[in-house]
Amino acid sequence: MHGNRNNPSRRATLGALAVLASGATVGLTGCGSQSGSVAKRDKSAKPKIALVMKSLANEFFGTMAEGAKKHQAANPGKYELIVNGIPDERDVTRQSALVAEMVAQGVDAIVIAPADSKALATPLKRAAEKGVRIVNIDNKLDEEVLEKLKLKIPFVGPNNQAGAQKVGEYLADKLSPGSEVAILEGVVTSFNSQQRRDGFGKAIFQSRLKLVKSQSAQWETGPANQVAASILAANPDLKAIFCCNDNMALGALAAVKAAGKTGKVQIVGFDNISAVQAAIKAGEILATADQHGDQLAVFGIETALALLDDKIGENDKETPVDLITREKLP
Amino acid sequence: MSRGGGDGRPQFSTGQLGGLLVVLALMVAGFGWLQPRFFSTATLALVGNQIPDLAVLACGMTLVMVAGGIDLSVGSVVGLSTAVLGHCLGEWNWPVWTGCLAALVTGAGCGLLNGTVSVLAGIPSFIVTLGMLEAARGGAYLISGSQTRYLGDGLEGLSAPIAGLNLSPSALLAGLVVLAGQGLQSFTALGRRLVAVGENDQAAWRMGVDPKAVRIIAFALCGVLAGLAGMFQTARLGSADPNAGIGMELGAIAAVVIGGASPSGGRGSVLGSFLGVLVIAVLQTGLAQIGAADPVKRLVTGGVIVLAVLADAWRRKAR
Repeated sequence: MHGNRNNPSRRATLGALAVLASGATVGLTGCGSQSGSVAKRDKSAKPKIALVMKSLANEFFGTMAEGAKKHQAANPGKYELIVNGIPDERDVTRQSALVAEMVAQGVDAIVIAPADSKALATPLKRAAEKGVRIVNIDNKLDEEVLEKLKLKIPFVGPNNQAGAQKVGEYLADKLSPGSEVAILEGVVTSFNSQQRRDGFGKAIFQSRLKLVKSQSAQWETGPANQVAASILAANPDLKAIFCCNDNMALGALAAVKAAGKTGKVQIVGFDNISAVQAAIKAGEILATADQHGDQLAVFGIETALALLDDKIGENDKETPVDLITREKLP
Repeated sequence: MSRGGGDGRPQFSTGQLGGLLVVLALMVAGFGWLQPRFFSTATLALVGNQIPDLAVLACGMTLVMVAGGIDLSVGSVVGLSTAVLGHCLGEWNWPVWTGCLAALVTGAGCGLLNGTVSVLAGIPSFIVTLGMLEAARGGAYLISGSQTRYLGDGLEGLSAPIAGLNLSPSALLAGLVVLAGQGLQSFTALGRRLVAVGENDQAAWRMGVDPKAVRIIAFALCGVLAGLAGMFQTARLGSADPNAGIGMELGAIAAVVIGGASPSGGRGSVLGSFLGVLVIAVLQTGLAQIGAADPVKRLVTGGVIVLAVLADAWRRKAR
């Protein structure tokens, strides 16, 4: 908590405990001002924004939510924030209920990381029909379904493909044409994994490198270690491994070290986690990409605020992905 | 722990239902005070429209628990019937009503299998249904190819609120199921037999009741209602999600226990369980609307479940 009296999560925590105690005889004053009716919003009133996340127990989403709370605490006059997550990543039922609950609560906009790209579309359409503005972050809603519902929801997020291509090109520039390389993919059905794989692929194709293997290591360090070790054993001339996230880059690094090929096989990752930053500083991993995970929800909120002020239309907005190399780290 | 009446009549204690109503009223008042919007008809209708699936699941669970069993598989059976429904409508282009029938039959089949295996082989139902929890979810992924299927508005009619009433046909249907379930308990021979079987097999035999048949019927009914819950979910989301209903068995069991059923059988009422569902739904909606932090939500929900059961136990002891 940030020591701010108006901090909604703190107020809510105490409020919740008060309810538990007695059906409410103790509590804090001031439940926050109510903004006007949703359909025709009074533009001078402070808008209320709901952030609907996946599981907040997952560090990635927890960090995103914390980033949003900090942003609200720094801009208390601009908007009110209410953050909710679901206990299980896959619990679309609860998440769809949350959307309806936020609408009934009178929020002006919902920023959502959908647990499912199709199943949340219908509940969101109902919210949009009530005049609530919607912004999609993290997991892009299915375009076909949105089209069928005649629903326009802006997606605010990083272009994973372009980001991976940037990282891939940085590595490819250091290799001669024809060099053998491999890709470690995340969970194959994951959109992010496909995008990053395609970005690496483009860089590999442009520099005329030879892709000998592209395999899934499920986003995890352990499986990445096994897969990378077997690829290294089968391809003694391998010059580089492109990893779709940093956890897998760490697994690949351990495999390269175990094979006694440190420095001979280059590795790149994606996410900019602290362990990989250390490896980049040590010269063991070449580069990674930073998609500013803690700011992803904030970007969504800023888009929602602009939408509410009618400053922009319902268009997708790309957020920055930065190439992180040794020079960029302190 | 004292058990319900040995006369074989279902326990329908107005005192207990009254206690639950008081708890509900206090919660609504508390949330309304913290968050004035909570009092809006929109929020109250919302609570009504969110619960049809949990309400029918709790109804089925009550029947099984009164008969001394438990069904851990209902959440997965919801997922399986959802996947079947999605496949029938989306892949085979069946008419809506036959798809819904297929979902109900799927649920009934799972329930029947649960009941038959556990009763005939004498295996505790929590083990058999734990197996079904895994197997049915696997079946759901298999049928759906682990993909959510968008169905559009074919089932919209079930979930769209009726104008002027603010409640959806699903909610009304669920209300009817609850009334029918309570009717079955209070006014039919099967209702009395469920209690007798839950109390004591020997006693049931002496009444001339075959406990096996009664238990199997309870599981089958529970399965059908899980299929119905799958229909409700599919209608609400406009899509068939093979992950539907994950963890819902816990919500259903919690509702039944809050509603005053005995985990060891012989006591419990569908109406009480329905009030348990309302307690959980109001808590969930209220905590979300005031924006409680996630850990707090779970602490509070867990606390309320245990407090409700404690209060019930004290009330019984005092009597």
